[in-house]
This record gives sequence, structure tokens and C-alpha cells, in this order.
Amino acid sequence: MSLQYFLLLAAALFCIGIYGLITSRNAVRVLMSIELLLNAINLNLMAFSNFLDPTLIKGQVFTIFIITVAAAEAAVGLAIVLAIYRNRDTVDMEQFNLLKW
Amino acid sequence: MNQLLLQSIWLIPCYALLGAIFALPWSPTIIRRTGPRPAGYVNLLMTCLAFTHSLIALQSIWKLPPQHISFNWLSTAGLELTFDIEISRVSVAAMLLVTGLNLLAQIYAVGYMEMDWGWARFYSLLGLFEAGMCALVLCNSLFFSYLILEILTLGTYLLVGLWFSQPLVVTGARDAFLTKRVGDLLLLMGVVALLPLAGTWNYSELAVWAKTAHLDPKIAALLGLLLISGPMGKCAQFPLHLWLDEAMEGPVPSTILRNSVVVATGAWVLIKLQPVLSLSPIVSAALVGIGTVTSVGASLIAIAQIDIKRCLSYSVSAYMGLVFIAVGTQHSEAALLLVLTHAVASALLVMSTGAVVWNSITQDVTQLGGLWSRRPISGLAYIVGTLGLIAFPPLGSFWALLKLASALWVEKPWLVGVVIVVNVFTAFSLTREFSSIFGGKPKQMSERSPEVSWQMALPMIILLAFTLHLPLLLQSLSLLPSWADFNKDVALLLMWSSIFGCTISGVIYLSDFIPKPIRLPVKVLQDLLAYDFYTPKLYKVSIVFSVDMISKLADIVDRLVIDGIVNMIGLASLGGGEGLKYSTSGQTQFYAFTVLLGISLLGATVTWPYWGHQFLSLMF
Repeated sequence: MSLQYFLLLAAALFCIGIYGLITSRNAVRVLMSIELLLNAINLNLMAFSNFLDPTLIKGQVFTIFIITVAAAEAAVGLAIVLAIYRNRDTVDMEQFNLLKW
Repeated sequence: MNQLLLQSIWLIPCYALLGAIFALPWSPTIIRRTGPRPAGYVNLLMTCLAFTHSLIALQSIWKLPPQHISFNWLSTAGLELTFDIEISRVSVAAMLLVTGLNLLAQIYAVGYMEMDWGWARFYSLLGLFEAGMCALVLCNSLFFSYLILEILTLGTYLLVGLWFSQPLVVTGARDAFLTKRVGDLLLLMGVVALLPLAGTWNYSELAVWAKTAHLDPKIAALLGLLLISGPMGKCAQFPLHLWLDEAMEGPVPSTILRNSVVVATGAWVLIKLQPVLSLSPIVSAALVGIGTVTSVGASLIAIAQIDIKRCLSYSVSAYMGLVFIAVGTQHSEAALLLVLTHAVASALLVMSTGAVVWNSITQDVTQLGGLWSRRPISGLAYIVGTLGLIAFPPLGSFWALLKLASALWVEKPWLVGVVIVVNVFTAFSLTREFSSIFGGKPKQMSERSPEVSWQMALPMIILLAFTLHLPLLLQSLSLLPSWADFNKDVALLLMWSSIFGCTISGVIYLSDFIPKPIRLPVKVLQDLLAYDFYTPKLYKVSIVFSVDMISKLADIVDRLVIDGIVNMIGLASLGGGEGLKYSTSGQTQFYAFTVLLGISLLGATVTWPYWGHQFLSLMF
């Protein structure tokens, strides 16, 4: 096993997340895609931590922080989605283009 | 005392200029209560002063050599502009002529402009003209001559345009200004080009320089052609002659001045420049050519005119053409003499016809007739003016023409032919005009035509007497050729040509053999001459058309292309803003996409050196 495979897997996951982030119509799925991105980053950090810094494992510390922050962000994001939903009765991203030119 | 008067001779133009300024308060909007007449009297006084001054100055300069005074006008790095004054017999005599004729014209105008409210403007402009011409004859520098010529061009514009409510006056003044201006501008080119060649604008120094100058023939020819084009416009020579015809729309008293002296300002500069002009044979040939074409053409046109003033204006062009011939063949003295005799006779003719017009209203010679018995003074003045203008011994122009013709007799015999032809045509046209106005039976317009008041008759009589005395004066100044060296053949030829012209014309127009109005068998020719070779049309289709076209084109280019380019820049940024605002789509996901796109592009660019080469080799 080598570092590259992990990195490639993480990159693939990141790209899938981006694809989902840009194309999803459902706002909750956008949040899910963001979770995918964050998890891809976590994978990266874990891989680097294991292969390049096995003694101090700073990458794992980072990962802990990111998981924490991601949880908070997801909570706030869902709160925002809920707030929008209450007003507009929909979570379709294409209905939210009010702040245009 | 005399020396003082001589040294202060530069005051003479100042008197006239002061008169011009003093006349202005009587403009109808400034002094509203007294009427305009004091303006004229002030000017008369000033002209009288100038006349007396120059008369005394002439007496004291007569025995003395020419004196030179020089004022520093402007000195900058590498250029000293000095206003040089030459006090010589000729210049003071010319001033005497100018002030004298102006005095007479102003007295005449007191009568002629009696029912006119615009004396302030009129007399002020006459004063300006007098000042300008006196300054011109005094000044001995080409640069300042040019300056004065330009001021006089402006003066002509204003004076012709005196009665500006008449549409023909406005177009006439416009043409007079533009035509003369074109000539003046070409003259300016010559003046500017002369300085690096000669290093001076002083006429006397130019003459010295011209004696030893070795110029490239092409440069000399171009320079000379530019220098003659100014006088060409001023002297109403072909093809810049239309303005004089249209300037006849102005009031008669100003015409007296214009026909006699103003057109001679160009001739004066030409005579002064003669040493420079004779550097190139091409220029001499051009002078002779222009003079010949103008004098023959204009004297033919004069025959075919029906307007009393225009008949005379073309004769002026013709005589100025003879002056051109004289300068072109290096006979400056004959030219000067011709200018003098022409000025006197021509002024007399204009005064006489002006007096007829004043009481008979119409200027159409075909509607006048039979005035001889009731207008003897005007008639006599006309006769003497005619005889003084054509070669009729012993009156003035005979001697001038004789001097010119006998000098040409040896060098260029064919030019004597030109002089004689012009003399015949002028004699014919002047006699024709006399016969139509004073001879025959009275017509409706001239049925009741009293002689004019004394203000107009007096200057006419004085000038008549002066014209008659001119030969005596010339003799006492020993300006006449001596009996031994004048060419009797030429004298006889000139005399007979005058008699021939006068007789033919008299027979045709005074007898009843030929029905009037006379129709030539070739109507085209008659119309061609009557319409002045269709010069207005020629101008219209050539110069005016092309300038008009170019200016319209330039206007279009300006409005569409130049303006369009700048507007296009504005429009493009406006359109850019309008179009690019749609990039703010309102879709959060789109923003995320652009952020990621930007980051990835930036990342790709920054890291290109590490993988770009491999990537390229993989691709190709």
C-alpha cells in the first residue's frame, strides 16, 4: 500500500463531492456534498499523517478538528436550509436565484 | 520746421487712424441725438491735416535723398522685426495722392451719403483705408506691407458690407474678403520663405540682395509666383478678379477710393518687389501672361456690361493688368506713372458715374440716355476722365502708356500690340458708356435728372482740373519723356488707337443706324463677355465645389468616424456592463463553481512548470 492510492481515492471523493455540490438541486444534498468534500480532506490528512508523520500525527489532530467543525457547519447549514424552507416552502436550489443582477 | 515735419511723417497715417476712431462715437447707438454728420466732418478735418502735412513734406523732401527711419517693433531670439519707414519723393507723393483722393472722396460722400444714417461706420472705414494706404506707402518692409494688406482686406470686407441688409452686398463682401485673403495667404508663404533666403524683409536690402543672389531657378520661380499671387488678388487680376465686380455693391464714394487707390496697393507691393521678381524669368513671364490675359479679357468684358459701375470696375482690372505687364518687363517707373494717372482718371470716372446714379437711380446704362444737355458737369468730368485714362495726348495716361509701349517696342513688340488692343477696347467701352448715358434720347429713368449738389460737384470739378493739369505737373517734375527720345511711331499708334476706339464706339452708339440694344451675331460670345466668362460658375464648380465637398466629407468623417470611434468605446463599455452583469446569476452553486474554477486555474498556472512539460509531451 502506498500514499498515492489514498490520495487518489481522496481526490476522487473530493471531485464527486464537487460534482454533487455544483449539480444538486436539493439544498440538503448540497450540504451532503460538502460533507463529502470534508471527508475527502480528512482522508488526505489521515493518509499524510500515517505516511509522513507517524510519530507526531499532527494530521490526525487536524482531522479531529475538522470533524468537529464540519458537524457544527452542517448543523448551521441545516438551520439555514430550514429557515429558507419556512419562508419559501421549497429546498430547490434553482428557486433561490433571487439575488441576481 | 520742414525737417521736423519730415521726421514726423509717420504721423500722417495716425491722423487718419485718429479720424477713424473719432468718427465712431457718432454711431447711431452711442450718440443718439445729434445725427451722424459730425463723424464725416471730423474725418474731413483729419484728412485735410494729413493732406497738408504730406504736401509740405513733399516740398521739403523734393531735393533731398531718401531718408530712412526704423522703429523696433519686436525683437525675439534670432528675429528683429523693425518697422522701417522710407521717406522718399515717391512715397510722400503717393501719400499725397492717397490723402488727396480720400479728401475728395470724403467731400463727395458728404453729398452722396446725405440720406444715409451710417456715416460713423462709413467714414471710420474710409479713415482706416487712408491710414492703411499711407502706412503701406511709407513702410519699407515686406512683412509690414503684408500686415497692412491684410488689415486693408478686412477693411474691404467691412466697407463693401456697409449696407449689409442687402443680400448681394453680403455675398459681394464675402467674395471680396475670401478672394483677396487667398492671395494674401499665398503672399504670406512667399514672405516667410523669403526671410531665410535673403535674411531681410527690408525692400532696399532686398533689392541689394537680389543683385547678387544666386538662387536655384526653381526656388526663385516658386518664391516669385507666391509673391505675385498676393498682388494678383489685390489688383483683381485673372483669375482672382470676381471680387472687384461684386465689390461694386458698396457705396460709390468708397468705390472711388477702391478703384483708384486700393487696387493699387497690390501694384505698389509688386513694384517694390520688382528686383526680387526679376530673379526668375518664369515669374516675369507669368506676370506678363497674367497681365495680358487680364487686361485684354477685362477690357473686353467691360464692353459687354450694362451696369454703369461694373463697366468701370473691369477697366480697373485691365489697367492693373498693364501695371503687371510693366513690372513683368522690369519697367517699374512706367508702372508707377501708370498707377498715378490711372488713379486720378479712374477716380474722376467713378465720381461722374456716381453723380449720375445718385439722381437717376438706375445703374443700367440701357435705361439711361440724353443727359448731356442737362448734366454738363458730370458729362465733362466723364469725358476728361475717359481721355485721361486712355492714351489721349496730352493727358496723363498717354505718357504712362507711351513710356511703357516705347520701352516694349524694342524688347517685346507683341506686348505693344497688347497695350494698343487694351487701349482700343477701353476707349470703346468708355465711349460706349458715355454715349449710352449722356448721348441719345432721354429714357424714362433719365427724363428728369438734375445736376447734383455742390458737395458732389466740387470734388468732381477739382479732380477734373487736376486731371487736366496732371501733364503740366508731370512736365514740371520732368517725368515726361523728352522730345528726342520718345518713339513717335508708338505715340502715333497709341493716339490713333484711342481715336479709332472712340470713333467706332461713338458712331455705333450715337447714331441710329444700328438698333439698340445691340445684338452680336454670335450670341454665345456676347453672353460669355456679359457674364464675365462665367467666372462665378467657374469658381462654383472648381474651388468652391471641391472645398465644399472636402469640408462636407471632413464633417462626415468627423461625425461618423472620429466621433463614432469614441462613442463606440463608451457604448462598448456600456454594453460590456449590461452583458457582464448576467455573470451574477444569483445561483450559489454557480458562484461555488466559479470559485473552484478560479482556484483550479490558478493552481494549474502556478504548478505548470512542474508538470506542464510532461503533460505536453503526453498530449503531442
